[in-house]
Amino acid sequence: MHKTVVDADKRKLSLNLRELFNYRDLFLILAYRDLRVRYAQTFLGFLWAFLQPAATLLIFTVVFGKAVKVDTGGVPYPLFAITGMTAWSYFAFVLNQSGNSIIGAQEMVKKIYFPRLVIPLSKAVVGFVDFAIGFLFLAVLMVIYKFVPGPNIVYLPVFILLTIISALAVGVWLSALTIRYRDFQHVVPFLVQFGLYATPTAYPAETIINNLPDWAVIIYYLNPMAGVVEGFRWSILGGAAPSEFAYVSFALIGILFVSALFYFRKVERVMADIV
Amino acid sequence: MSDIAVRVENLGKCYQIGQAKSGDFRQSFGSWMDKLRGRGGEQIAESKEFWALKDVSFEIKKGEAVGIIGRNGAGKSTLLKILSRITEPTKGRFEINGRVSSLLEVGTGFHPELSGRENIFLNGTILGMKRREIKAKFDEIVAFSGVEKFIDTPVKHYSSGMKVRLAFSVAAHLEPEILIIDEVLAVGDAEFQKKCLGKMDEVSKSGGRTVLFVSHNMAAVEGLCARGILLGEGRVSKIGSSIEVITSYLSVNENYEANLSKRVSTGSKRVIFTQMQVLNEEVEFKIVEGCFQVPFYSNIKFILQLKKIEAGGILYFAITLRDISGVKIVTFDNLYSNTGIHMNDRGNVQVVECFCEKLPLNPGNYTVDLWCSDGYETFHNIENACSLEIVANNFYSTGKMHTREKHGFLNIINTWKAANTEH
Repeated sequence: MHKTVVDADKRKLSLNLRELFNYRDLFLILAYRDLRVRYAQTFLGFLWAFLQPAATLLIFTVVFGKAVKVDTGGVPYPLFAITGMTAWSYFAFVLNQSGNSIIGAQEMVKKIYFPRLVIPLSKAVVGFVDFAIGFLFLAVLMVIYKFVPGPNIVYLPVFILLTIISALAVGVWLSALTIRYRDFQHVVPFLVQFGLYATPTAYPAETIINNLPDWAVIIYYLNPMAGVVEGFRWSILGGAAPSEFAYVSFALIGILFVSALFYFRKVERVMADIV
Repeated sequence: MSDIAVRVENLGKCYQIGQAKSGDFRQSFGSWMDKLRGRGGEQIAESKEFWALKDVSFEIKKGEAVGIIGRNGAGKSTLLKILSRITEPTKGRFEINGRVSSLLEVGTGFHPELSGRENIFLNGTILGMKRREIKAKFDEIVAFSGVEKFIDTPVKHYSSGMKVRLAFSVAAHLEPEILIIDEVLAVGDAEFQKKCLGKMDEVSKSGGRTVLFVSHNMAAVEGLCARGILLGEGRVSKIGSSIEVITSYLSVNENYEANLSKRVSTGSKRVIFTQMQVLNEEVEFKIVEGCFQVPFYSNIKFILQLKKIEAGGILYFAITLRDISGVKIVTFDNLYSNTGIHMNDRGNVQVVECFCEKLPLNPGNYTVDLWCSDGYETFHNIENACSLEIVANNFYSTGKMHTREKHGFLNIINTWKAANTEH
C-alpha cells in the first residue's frame, strides 16, 4: 500500500533518491522532448549539432594553433583542442540549460508534483548528445592524425563521470538559485564565457601553473572544470599527469555536488510558491 | 488496514504578503545584514501574513467521492495544491493511503512542437503513468479523444478543442486509487464535458476509487459526489451530504458582498451593476444570511443600480434564475422584446427596475445572475449576484404546499371541474 504522509512539524531533509529513481521515465521523456524540439523547424536540423563544434574547433585551430602557436607538447593542435572542448562544452551546455530550467518549467511545477530535481537532471541527459558528437570528432581526428591513445585511457570513464558530476553540481546549484534570485539568469552566460578562458581548453594547464604564483593557481583551480579538463586530456592524449592543484578542483566538485542536492531539496519545498 | 483514504489534520498554509516572492540579491543581502546587526524584528513586522488555509481537518473514506466547494479565494486550490504535494503546508499534517493522481489542469507539459502521440506519452508520464502503462492504453486513449486522424500531427496545428480532448483522454485513463481534480471540466464543449463526467462517474462508482473534486459546477458536484466540503475563508464551514453543502453554499452566501461592483464577474465593465434590491411591491424582502426570503407567488421587483463607466445609449438587461444545481429556470430580459432602456448621462448612477407579477416558482433555493449589454458586447455579467429562497406559505389555504423536489420548479395556476355530461 502506497502511503504519503506530510507533516509540517516533522520535516526531514532527506534526498529521497529512491523516489527520484521511480521517476526515471519522466526525466527520460523530458530529455527526449528537449531533443525533439531543439531543432524543430530548422532548415539544417540535426546538422547544427555538428556545425557548432566544427566552427569552434576551426577558430581555435586558426587563432591558438596557427597564430599564437600554443605549446601542446607535440600533439596536433586540433586534437589537443577537441579534448578540452568536448568536456568544456558539455559543462557549458548543462549550465546554460539547467540555470533557467525550473523557471522554464514553472507551468508544470505549479500544477503537478514530481521530484523537481528531475528537471535539471533531464538537461544533463540532453547534453549527452553533444558530448557524444564531441567524442565522434575526437575519434575522427585521432584517425586523421593516426594517434593511438596510451594506457591512461582507462581513466577516461572517471573523467567523463567527473565532467557530468561537476556539470550537475553547478547546474543544480544554479537552477535552485535562479528561482530565488533571478540575477543568476544574467550570471550564467557570464560564467560560461568567463569559464572558457579560465579553463585549459585552448591552452595547456602548465601555462597557468608555470607563469602564475601559487595562490593565483589555486584560485584558478577553484573552477571545477580546470582540473577535470586537465585530467580528461591527460587520459586521452597522455603527457604530464594532472598537477596536485587539480585536486582542489576535484574536492570542490564533491562539495558542490552534495551541497547542491541538499540546497535544491531545501528550495524545492517552496518552489511552487516562489517560482 | 484502515478504510481512510485521506486524513487531514489542522492543515494550514500561510503566505507572506507585501514581500517580493522571489527577491533580488540586494534585498536578501540587506535583510541578512539586518539580521547580523540584530535588527531582524523590523523585517518580520513589515511583511504581513495571510492564512490561505487554517485549521482544516477532515477524513475521506476509501471509494468516496467528495466535492469541495467555496467561493473564489476560499482556499480550495490551496488545499488541492497541498494534498497533491505541489506545495507544503505551514501547519498540520495529512496522510494519503494509496496512489494519488492530481489533475489541476489538463494537458500539463504539452509541447506544441510534438505530435499528439508524443504528447500522450509526455503528459501521461508527467501525470505519473509508467511507459508501459501508457503503451497498453494508447489505443483506448486515442479512441476516447476522437483525434485518431491527427495523432501524428504536431499539436500546434490542433484546434484548442482537440487539444483539450486529447489532454483529457490521457487524464481519464489514469488509474490511481485517489484522484484529485480541480475544475478541469470548465474546458471543452458541452458534449465532451458530458463524456468526461460520465467517465469520472464510472471511475468513482464502479472503480471504487476515491475522488476529490473541486468545481463551481454544482450540478456536476451534486451528480458525482455523495459528500461535500464547503470552504470559506480558508476554513471548513460545512461537511455533509453534497446536497446539504451545496444548499448552504448557495444560500449562506458567506461574506455576502452587497456591493456588486466588487463581485467576481465578467464583461467589459463599461457599464457595471453596483447594487441590487429585491422588493415585494415597495418593501424589500427580508434577508436571512444574504438570501432574500420571497413568499411563494409574490409580486417581485428587482431594482438594479448601475454605474456607467463610459458607454451610453440603449442598454439591455437580463436576470436569470437558476436552481441549486445551476440549471437555468427562467430569464427575464428586454433584449428579445427589443425594449432596451435609453441611458444618456455619462458616469451617473442609474436605476432600472424589472417587475414580475406572481412569481410562479415552487419553494426552494434559487440564485440570480445579472447581465447587461448594448446588444453586442457584454458589459457586466455577475453569476450568483444574490439568492432567493422561495418560502412556502399557505397559498392554497389548505396547509399543503408543492415542493420543488416533488412537483417541479413551476406552479401555474390551474382550475379543475367535472367535464362529464349529466344524466
